Amino acid sequence: MRVAYLHLPRFPVQRRASLFAGADTPSGRPGEFPLALVHEVRGVQRVACLSTAARVAGVRPGMTLSAARALLPALRDLPYQASEEAQALGTVAEGLLTLAPATMPSPPDGFWLDASAASLFGGEAGLLERALGLLGQLGLRGRGVVASELFTARALARFGSGRVRVVSRGASAEALAPLSLQALEGLDAQVQEALAAFGLHSLGEVASLEPAQVVARLGARGLRAQRLARGEDEARFLPALVPELVEEVRVLETPAEAFEPLLFVLKGAVDMLCARLRGRCRAAVRLTLVLVLEPDGPRAVPLVLARPSAEPKLLLDLLRHRLEDLRLPAPVATVVLSVDESCEDRGQQRVLGALPEGDAGLESVLARLATALGPEALSSPRAVEDHRPEAARAQAPFRPPLAEQGVHAEARRAASAPPSVDTRSAQRPVRVLHEPALLNVDLGPVGELRSARLLGRRRAVLGLAGPERLGGQWWTRTPFARDYYQVHFEGLGPAWVFRDARDGQFYLHGFFD
Amino acid sequence: MDAARSHAETVERLRAHIQTLQAAPRTHLAVLRTGVAEVDALLPAGGFPLGQVVELWGSPASGRTRLALRTVAEAHRALRLAAYVDGPGELYPPALSALGIHPSRLLWVSPASAERQASSQLAWAALQLLRSGAFACVVLDLTHTGQRLSPQASKRLLDAASHAGGLLLVLTPEEAPADGALRLRMSAGPRGVHVEVVRSRQGMAARSADVPWEALSPGEPPLRELAALPLPALPVTPGRFVRPRTSEVRNGLCGIQGQRPGRDVAMPALGPGLGLP
Repeated sequence: MRVAYLHLPRFPVQRRASLFAGADTPSGRPGEFPLALVHEVRGVQRVACLSTAARVAGVRPGMTLSAARALLPALRDLPYQASEEAQALGTVAEGLLTLAPATMPSPPDGFWLDASAASLFGGEAGLLERALGLLGQLGLRGRGVVASELFTARALARFGSGRVRVVSRGASAEALAPLSLQALEGLDAQVQEALAAFGLHSLGEVASLEPAQVVARLGARGLRAQRLARGEDEARFLPALVPELVEEVRVLETPAEAFEPLLFVLKGAVDMLCARLRGRCRAAVRLTLVLVLEPDGPRAVPLVLARPSAEPKLLLDLLRHRLEDLRLPAPVATVVLSVDESCEDRGQQRVLGALPEGDAGLESVLARLATALGPEALSSPRAVEDHRPEAARAQAPFRPPLAEQGVHAEARRAASAPPSVDTRSAQRPVRVLHEPALLNVDLGPVGELRSARLLGRRRAVLGLAGPERLGGQWWTRTPFARDYYQVHFEGLGPAWVFRDARDGQFYLHGFFD
Repeated sequence: MDAARSHAETVERLRAHIQTLQAAPRTHLAVLRTGVAEVDALLPAGGFPLGQVVELWGSPASGRTRLALRTVAEAHRALRLAAYVDGPGELYPPALSALGIHPSRLLWVSPASAERQASSQLAWAALQLLRSGAFACVVLDLTHTGQRLSPQASKRLLDAASHAGGLLLVLTPEEAPADGALRLRMSAGPRGVHVEVVRSRQGMAARSADVPWEALSPGEPPLRELAALPLPALPVTPGRFVRPRTSEVRNGLCGIQGQRPGRDVAMPALGPGLGLP
């Protein structure tokens, strides 16, 4: 089995780098911000992970926070929790499920991918490039190696050189040979110390030893180390389970009182959420943003999309719109963004020359209106085959044809035939009242319609067409029989009037406006 | 060798085809014609210019909606999308196909009754639709809503229309005109609609035309001149459907025990036949 390992150096710091993207650093690069992640060890705050700027200043992992601050007064510290970091790593790996059928996290700073689908991306090197590209979109940088063994891929990614490397089958020992003994970090420390005491420096030297001598001196653990150095790892790839709930939680360093810092944090959450959705080939339909206020507690902001989407730009735009109108009584301490409902993301076939963002304006406005007015307010008008006029209208989901923007679209527009006009519906008004309004009419001596009281005054009838006799549903409790007339009243255009057979009265039902 | 040659030929043919398509003149919509010759002749640009706010102002049933929908149909003919912000919620879909409208290209924004009360919601929806640039024509229907656009909202709508290049048609009632850059007053007459350009920033104001009803809706049946003819008799009121029993169909109405009619009614008195008092 071929596996790829992606190593994200100092992942806990990298993933927090976005929090300091706008901060004042010498070169503007987030890694140069003096940052230390601290955890509590026996009641003492100690540095667990640190940024490059902090390392340059002399701060080291394991140092107490007080000592680190003495060295670097500008040091910023954030809490570090191993379980939280492992969870974050898992979500990053989940975002790469578009490239691989399965992932296997390797906390704290890397994960394996099943590289069996590499042929879809132009080979194993292409797979690594695509994976690193996706990670780059999430603000993460790293290195990748494809090999046949888990250990080989991981050791070369962590301690080897080069951004992308592919180790062919049977060449693992040769590739591992130049690595130092530090590459055996996952093994017993005593074995590493013993090998170093023997005067060995590289994995190639360990691999060249006689197995019997290794077993005699170091036992089974030494033999395992030698087998790894020879590229004979027997560890199995164990795919990680994909959590059902797609949720992103961001705890703000300081509660946000302004809109911009909140939006900044939201961008990271939305990017990650969309990456996870894409990894599952899903698109969000309904989301909930929970803003945990301090000290007021949580406040939920629902977001319903008119069209399923996994586009981070669109979702962020919609969230921005929702939050702009929101008045919060207290600063936001935590942001929780979760997908309540999702559906299969079928993607979109584009035509020659079409831009990927061509439909963004439409999607954005649909989602915005659906959020503000409710999804039921947006529809496409549909006529229903029903004799009862009130039941002949319906609302269908608005699913416009794909936007055509390529050069072919111009040709299609020129060649498009005019739509056929249905003359059968010409006898229907464009406006129909919600409820038919009773008309006070005057009939002549022979039963002709003379006038009616309408819109505040009596209006003479100038002309009429009809009747169109509509009736039916005699098998139900609400049968109907009506004679519809197109009546032209004085001072108005044609109106749609019917005479109901139940009571013989005239009703105004609509206007040919 | 042959395969390579045919491959190269195919590529060359496709390249030539793409060049032909790219060299073809692009169709840029600048004006949406109403499709009604009399109205188009009235307008300075020969139709409603995109990037403008046009107000169709008039009495009920004066043809405002049909004229707006004819314009929407013109946008559909150019494979563009259109939207109808239905303030009163009265749009009747069965009438649309006769006007040449593609329902799949028409977004029907029909806010719930609570939102209908606020004109700001309707104007806001139209503003969003215009700003998106995805709709060539947006119709804002304010008739029967009892609402009037504020000057600020009108200004915002005009800015959005000119910026995004869309056309906004505002349907307003006679008692509450809006602030459109181009305003057409429509009034119904016995033979058709009288259309007058009340306001136009491009000139040609105060011009008017009479549009016959047939021009607005081509397939519409002609009205009878006068309603002097008596109306036909009403259809029979449909009651509950009661199926007659088989015995009734076969024997006619009979008594409880199947007796002929008459056994259950009171027998005639015998006195007169017998000469008794």
